[in-house]
Amino acid sequence: MIRLLSAETRKLWTIWSTYVLFGIVVVVDLLFGFALAFAPGGRRGGTAGIVPHGSELWFANVFSVLGNSRLLALVLGVLIITGEYRHRTATPVFLAEPRRGRVVTAKLGIGFLGGIALGGLSMLAGLVLGLVLVALKVHSCLTFSGVQQGMAQAACRAHNGVYFVANTHDMWHQWSRIAPGIVLGTGLFVIYGVGLGALLKNQVVAIVTGLGFTLVVESIIGAIWPTIGEYLPGQAATALEDTKTTVGIGHAEQLPWWGGAVMLVIYGVVLTVVGTLTTIRSDVT
Amino acid sequence: MSTIEARGLTKRFGSEVLAVDHLDFSVAPGVVTGFLGPNGAGKTTTLRMLVGLVSPTSGSILIDGLDYRHVLNPTMRVGAVLEASGFHPARSARNHLKVIATMAGIPFIRVDQCLELVGLSSDADRAVGGYSMGMRQRLELARALLGEPDILVLDEPANGLDPQGIAWLRDFLKGYAVEKDGRVVLVSSHLLSEAQLTVEEVVILNAGRLAAQGRLEDLLSGSTTAVRIRTPDAGRLVEALAAARLPATRDGDYVVCEGTTPAVVGPIIVDNRIEVHEMTSSTESLEALFFSLTGGEGMDVRHGTAVGESPQTAGRPPPAARPSPGEPDPGASPT
Repeated sequence: MIRLLSAETRKLWTIWSTYVLFGIVVVVDLLFGFALAFAPGGRRGGTAGIVPHGSELWFANVFSVLGNSRLLALVLGVLIITGEYRHRTATPVFLAEPRRGRVVTAKLGIGFLGGIALGGLSMLAGLVLGLVLVALKVHSCLTFSGVQQGMAQAACRAHNGVYFVANTHDMWHQWSRIAPGIVLGTGLFVIYGVGLGALLKNQVVAIVTGLGFTLVVESIIGAIWPTIGEYLPGQAATALEDTKTTVGIGHAEQLPWWGGAVMLVIYGVVLTVVGTLTTIRSDVT
Repeated sequence: MSTIEARGLTKRFGSEVLAVDHLDFSVAPGVVTGFLGPNGAGKTTTLRMLVGLVSPTSGSILIDGLDYRHVLNPTMRVGAVLEASGFHPARSARNHLKVIATMAGIPFIRVDQCLELVGLSSDADRAVGGYSMGMRQRLELARALLGEPDILVLDEPANGLDPQGIAWLRDFLKGYAVEKDGRVVLVSSHLLSEAQLTVEEVVILNAGRLAAQGRLEDLLSGSTTAVRIRTPDAGRLVEALAAARLPATRDGDYVVCEGTTPAVVGPIIVDNRIEVHEMTSSTESLEALFFSLTGGEGMDVRHGTAVGESPQTAGRPPPAARPSPGEPDPGASPT
């Protein structure tokens, strides 16, 4: 098994697409993070316009972007397994290890670790983002008439307002609150992706299905039947990450963080087992 | 010393296609064995069943009595060259081999040796996506050889190789078969003239069934020979041969006499003082044997066109010339 795990690691790091995926995570985190940080008033419907820049809640908003790494984790998981079929490397791999279940198990293991790395990188990018926001001393003032973004401290006092300025303490508090959940959730989403890939085999179909379900179908189900929605993979990840955001429309119920983790493990393992017993076991012609 | 043995091996794809039908054969070590048959005869399916990529519908094909899936670390026992694909286009040849070597616990020094052996050392760090067909074929061979297996199985290994490559492969396979007390080398091919130069034993398939198995020499013995003579005096030679009860046919400056040898024809020519510019004899070729066994499907020797393409050939490169409904000519003997 150690040989298989080592071979899977080598496979992952000898093609450029892995590096591209990791690069995309950093770019997306920084781009969307900054966009969200300076968007007028944050993005949530209920609190739009009244989240003061520089406040702790504002950091929570900005960092909620970091959980998007799980979408790339899903793609990574799908690529790990469907790539073998797309490039027909399944042939030499199954020649070297005909017990295909062991190959898939190694992929789950290394995929999970790769996802942990991806989530870790995302959190690292988030930390950089947070430190830059602190260094920029982003600030605002909450008065009775509303939030005045960018109002200086002296002017704020003159308006009897509450002054907020981005500081390391708030930033660190929010960052450390969500970091473990995002790292674990990103890791588990790779397993979910491996499961989807094992079941569907076709790379494009698996990616479209995975992203489409997470981004579109889940939010529709979540909006109509919130009690079902909370058990779906995307919502489970949100619960685990505790970013208190919703994916798309509406505001769904949320499982406890460990419930989210359990649901993700169940999705990943069940899909992988079913995929291994059906698709993966079939003839490689 | 290893053997391959198929017993009642059958593979059905869906309800329509019976790719392999109760196949029994065995392959012994020490010689190169040719695995021959027209397109769609079931060669590739059989080889894929041998290495556990395809599951037989019934029957078995075993390596020293073991199913491939139960062979411990099969990279060290069986090397299979199945297709010139199966590479990630962005991964370098060296890394591709390192992945497989890692799976089998083979030290990386062997990766360099195999790359050297197939002549890919200088291109080893390039992405395989930029490789030619012949280079991919060589890389496949390098991968199959990583574990120095005592069983080597190759499916159409000459595909994409240049003439030097083919000649090199021929010598390599012959050498590999006799090394280390004899190894099993089973090579499928549709290039019969090439196979005739390489193989000693043959297993011939037709429509999923065994058509013949044995030493090529034995299968070809008892076959007819023909003598072809170029002479400016063709008419008189035909008469002289006829007088000696040797029916001959005239073809311009040539006279062709079937079922005889130069040793028989020579004295007649001398006795009749006939001027001769050229005389060649031909024994029956593997090609002719092949057509007689496979019902004349395949190549029309005289015109070099393919006939009788089976529907299972989708995905394979088509032959250079498309079928013309030429007559099957099992007895055609090239000179």
